[in-house]
Amino acid sequence: MNPPKQRRASLPSKLFLILPALLLPGCTTADLRLFHPVGLVARAEMHYTLILVITMLIIIVPTLLMTIIFPLRYHHSRNAKYTPDWHFSLSIELLAWGVPLAIVAFLCYLTIKGVYAVNPWAPGILANAPGASQPPINVQVIATDWQWVFIYPDQGVATIDDLVVPAGRIIHLQMTSTSNMNGFYIPQVVPMVDAMPAMESKDAFELNHPATYTGFSTDFSGAGFSWMQFSTRVVPQAAFDGWVQSLQSSPSQLTYAAFQKIAQPTVNVGAKPAYFSAPDKNLFNEVITAAMQGVVYPVPDSFTKRVSDNSAQGAQAPASPQ
Amino acid sequence: MQVALDGPWSPLLGRLSLAAIPYSNPILVSTFAVVVVLGIVIVGAALRYGKVGYIWREWLTSVDHKKIGVMYIILGLVMLFRGFIDGAMMRTQQLLADGPNSPGYLGAQHGYLPPYHFDQIYTAHGTLMLFFAATPLVAGLGNLIVPLQIGARDMAFPYLNATSLWLTVSGAALCMISLFVGEFSNATWVGLMPFSEMPTNPGVGVDYWMWAFQLSSLGTTFNAINMIATIVKMRAPGMSWFRMPVYCWSSLTTNIIGLSIFPVVTVALTMLGIDRYCGTHFFTAGYGGNFMLYVNLFWIWGHPEVYFLMLPAFGLFSEIVPTFSNKALFGYPTMVAASFSIGGIGWVVWAHHFFTMGMGPALNGYFSAATMLVGIPTGVKAFNWLFTMYRGRITYATPMLWALIGLVLLLIGGLTGMMLSASVFDYTVHNSLFVVAHFHCMVLVIGAALFAGVTYWWPKVFGFKLDEKNGQMYFWTFVIASLLVFVPLFYLGFAGVTRRLDYIYNPALKPLLWVSEGGIGMYFVSLFYFGKMLYVSLRDQIPAAADSWGTGRTLEWLTHTPVPFYNFAVTPQINARDELAWRKAKGLEGVQPTQYVPIHLPNNTAVPVILGALATIFGFAMTWRIWWLSLASLLAIIVVVIIRSFDKNEGYILSAEDIARMENRIALASIVAEQPKRPALVQVEAH
Amino acid sequence: MASNIPAASAVLWNPSADEHDPISARTYGFWLYLIGDALLFCGVFASYAVLDNPVNAAGGPLTAQVINAPHGLLQTFIILASVLAYSLGTVSLKTGNQAGVRLGIIAALLLGAAFLYISGSDLLALAAQGDGPTRSAFLSVFFTLLLTHGLHMVFGILWMLVMLVQVSVLGFTKDVVGRLLNLRLFWQFQATMWVCVYFYVYLLGGSR
Repeated sequence: MNPPKQRRASLPSKLFLILPALLLPGCTTADLRLFHPVGLVARAEMHYTLILVITMLIIIVPTLLMTIIFPLRYHHSRNAKYTPDWHFSLSIELLAWGVPLAIVAFLCYLTIKGVYAVNPWAPGILANAPGASQPPINVQVIATDWQWVFIYPDQGVATIDDLVVPAGRIIHLQMTSTSNMNGFYIPQVVPMVDAMPAMESKDAFELNHPATYTGFSTDFSGAGFSWMQFSTRVVPQAAFDGWVQSLQSSPSQLTYAAFQKIAQPTVNVGAKPAYFSAPDKNLFNEVITAAMQGVVYPVPDSFTKRVSDNSAQGAQAPASPQ
Repeated sequence: MQVALDGPWSPLLGRLSLAAIPYSNPILVSTFAVVVVLGIVIVGAALRYGKVGYIWREWLTSVDHKKIGVMYIILGLVMLFRGFIDGAMMRTQQLLADGPNSPGYLGAQHGYLPPYHFDQIYTAHGTLMLFFAATPLVAGLGNLIVPLQIGARDMAFPYLNATSLWLTVSGAALCMISLFVGEFSNATWVGLMPFSEMPTNPGVGVDYWMWAFQLSSLGTTFNAINMIATIVKMRAPGMSWFRMPVYCWSSLTTNIIGLSIFPVVTVALTMLGIDRYCGTHFFTAGYGGNFMLYVNLFWIWGHPEVYFLMLPAFGLFSEIVPTFSNKALFGYPTMVAASFSIGGIGWVVWAHHFFTMGMGPALNGYFSAATMLVGIPTGVKAFNWLFTMYRGRITYATPMLWALIGLVLLLIGGLTGMMLSASVFDYTVHNSLFVVAHFHCMVLVIGAALFAGVTYWWPKVFGFKLDEKNGQMYFWTFVIASLLVFVPLFYLGFAGVTRRLDYIYNPALKPLLWVSEGGIGMYFVSLFYFGKMLYVSLRDQIPAAADSWGTGRTLEWLTHTPVPFYNFAVTPQINARDELAWRKAKGLEGVQPTQYVPIHLPNNTAVPVILGALATIFGFAMTWRIWWLSLASLLAIIVVVIIRSFDKNEGYILSAEDIARMENRIALASIVAEQPKRPALVQVEAH
Repeated sequence: MASNIPAASAVLWNPSADEHDPISARTYGFWLYLIGDALLFCGVFASYAVLDNPVNAAGGPLTAQVINAPHGLLQTFIILASVLAYSLGTVSLKTGNQAGVRLGIIAALLLGAAFLYISGSDLLALAAQGDGPTRSAFLSVFFTLLLTHGLHMVFGILWMLVMLVQVSVLGFTKDVVGRLLNLRLFWQFQATMWVCVYFYVYLLGGSR
């Protein structure tokens, strides 16, 4: 009952020489934004991720080694020790169940601790942040098809696709959406949270140094989804105050009627920002209430078919709010 | 309750009109040309060699579990190819549409696919790969092997078995029709809510997706019932539960999962359908609708569905590793326990698919922890395979190579899966290409297992092995291609690239996209070797022995190769867990039965094919809202089922002399051989 | 490898094992189908539990305002009587009494039709007063739950009609007996589901 003789697969395995090419992109991590978290929340996420991964490697690495060594060591050509009828060992089984169980128990403890620390609704970790002594900056976020509207209710200004926040303050975000589910995300900065129609969700972060980041939608919402970026600019407090003042005199005001025009399906190619003064005080709640009452901004079939040739100004559907 | 439609509707043709044919799209027109040419070649060849009658009598109308299994596998491989082409198109689009200055071709602003077309492609990719590639391949192997491994003549319900197959085919047919008539869904394979509702998706795409999904899940539910009944009721004498091969155990677990989850997704899709057809408000944002309900219902099905596909893969490894290590499977009882643990935990972890939906830390924490528990039984399985190899005599045959790479991929996929299960990490990469890379690692485990299984049991079914040299070239090129495609996706996920993007705004990622595209090129090379492997094996047809690999342990290697259409001339008596290994140890493997008894077998029937065709028409008519045709095809289905229930045909009897003759010249009994016409038995009243 | 033993001392083939009991496998398979059907109802009940909520009524009525409690009680008695009638019919099956079986099926069928008539007219009246399934998500799920059960009943009645013909035309063959027994399971199952509906919607929902 000898196994059939076979040549070792040496020639095809030479093809594996191509694989080091995969390591090349790893030489620079500049683009791997998740490895460069900023702010307390993102750094906590990275911290927990690293501990979790290292713990997992305790079991993954030896198993991987066994997966490589056993087939080589016990290949039939090597005449290593052979015990064809050995098929059970209580001690090995106890280890096989027990070790993963212990590791998973630790991982569970850690991940539950982590999820409370970065809970987007009220991140535990922000309680001790430097900016915790000052009142938070409130920003209301409305995802439309397919732009982001940021309303600063306390400052009385609003923007499209441009989130400007002062450094060293805690930012509280309230989010909703006009008709589709969108994911709100700024890599390196905040946890990803969905913005949903007829509902309010929350997120929070704090950054201490001026910088610019790109945020975007992470949950597919239709033809203009790929263009749903927005810039996140962290500026010094004084610059923020100046920016607010300059906007407060802007002639275009964000009334509910103006918002209804903006909320029509629009592909904002290049994510070009727009600015408004005097947003309707109740706009955010009105959008939620309207969605609950069944207001939708329909995407006509004809629009999705011609979205390919959208012009540089962005394509917009014919206005027909229901 | 008629819903306002975006566009014209006529009583005769519903929403269907000439404008639904995408003749202005060069990509679809050339695809259509290729499909037509292939169709002409296949039909032409069948006509040329006079095989039309043979194919109809012996295959399409067959109720033989082996033929149904083979047809499932053919369907799976064809759809795998289409799904792969979709994947290649997606990667190419992302490569081309990278950065604001990227050029546009064929009327697209960036790349060569406008967003709407791109969205359909990835929706089709996911739908096809899961329901029409992986599921048929898993169901096909189960059909082929489970009855052989438990020493049964056929499945418990052969006619239902054929119906399952043809319902699955009808779903696949709807997906193919959607290529050339109208459009496919652009709302992702999971059906995003409320995006799939009428206001944001007024076309027929979502309806196509929904009906294809419904039909195939109906087929899968029937198949699950059939498999459970087969395993519970049809085992050969002496095969107690703990003598059953581990592959049968995993089939049992997986089909218990299947039976329990598919009704849930049927409910979810039906509610979406009522929303779209009658204007109700289950999953809308307004009028009290709750789209999070859909997300929950979908993933209550969707997560166990992952294990529904994964457990058979584990079962395949548990057959292949012992055979090619020439050693009994290590830790059989804990393997069984681990399968049931995975299945059980699989039911209670669904919400980890939407950690970002705002469940709060308590629920997120629970679902994180529950998800991590899956790692324990999975780890146990990996250890048991490793200790099966330990002190074995390992041969690197192609199935073993696939099993080994499957194990490596399982470790990578397991590591990244455990990472994702921690919601604190998921907050940073949810819906990113990291997730895509992770679950492709996992489905590649399933893919590796399926390729291993097909190569492993090929000789049993057809009587000759797949060519080993080209099979190994296929293996290596496929593995390298997979790594080239998916390792960059992990990087891209870390770079913050979301999934489902038809345009990537950061041009600095170009090198990674190129590497990934290189992998796609490599996949085409592997496809060449796959074709060459098939060609060389079919050309040479070197006969294989009953125990084709020389170290088989389970019952299916006991009967002839190729396996006769009646499976075993006489039902074997089971004496041990690895029956063949036991017989070999006692020197009994060559002992043949001395006397034969007549065998009762079912007749072939055209009813399942007709039902499949009617189901396709029904799905098509509902998609286009051609009410008269929907009603007519639905009534036709009911009438056909009723007529069939009046059929008194009881199958036929294969006499002992016939069996003896076929046993002596086994070519007569091979599953591809044409069977002589046999008079049908007619049932008589019992009282 | 191991010591050879004479072939005679081990039983290797079992020619008598070929006959599996078809009715047993068939009934088992039908039980499995019922499990699937039960999970289908579970999905609808779970959705009902989620959407039976003032928010999801969108200003429209909730359970207590849409049910017809006396009708619900009456329907419960009717469907239980129907199951009883069918079961008495299967008692006649034991003695091979075709007329008894037919009588039982016809009685069950008529009672089932009466049940459906009450259910259907209640739902139609509700829709006519403007509280149709498109009014709110709650009403969508209310109609869907009752219609899911109702469609099962319609299917059962159709099945009974077919069985009436088959009992007369084919007699009590193995297939027909198997179908009659499965139909009894099916009918009993629908009654059980109705009891769940009655308990959950009419009693618990109505008392809120």
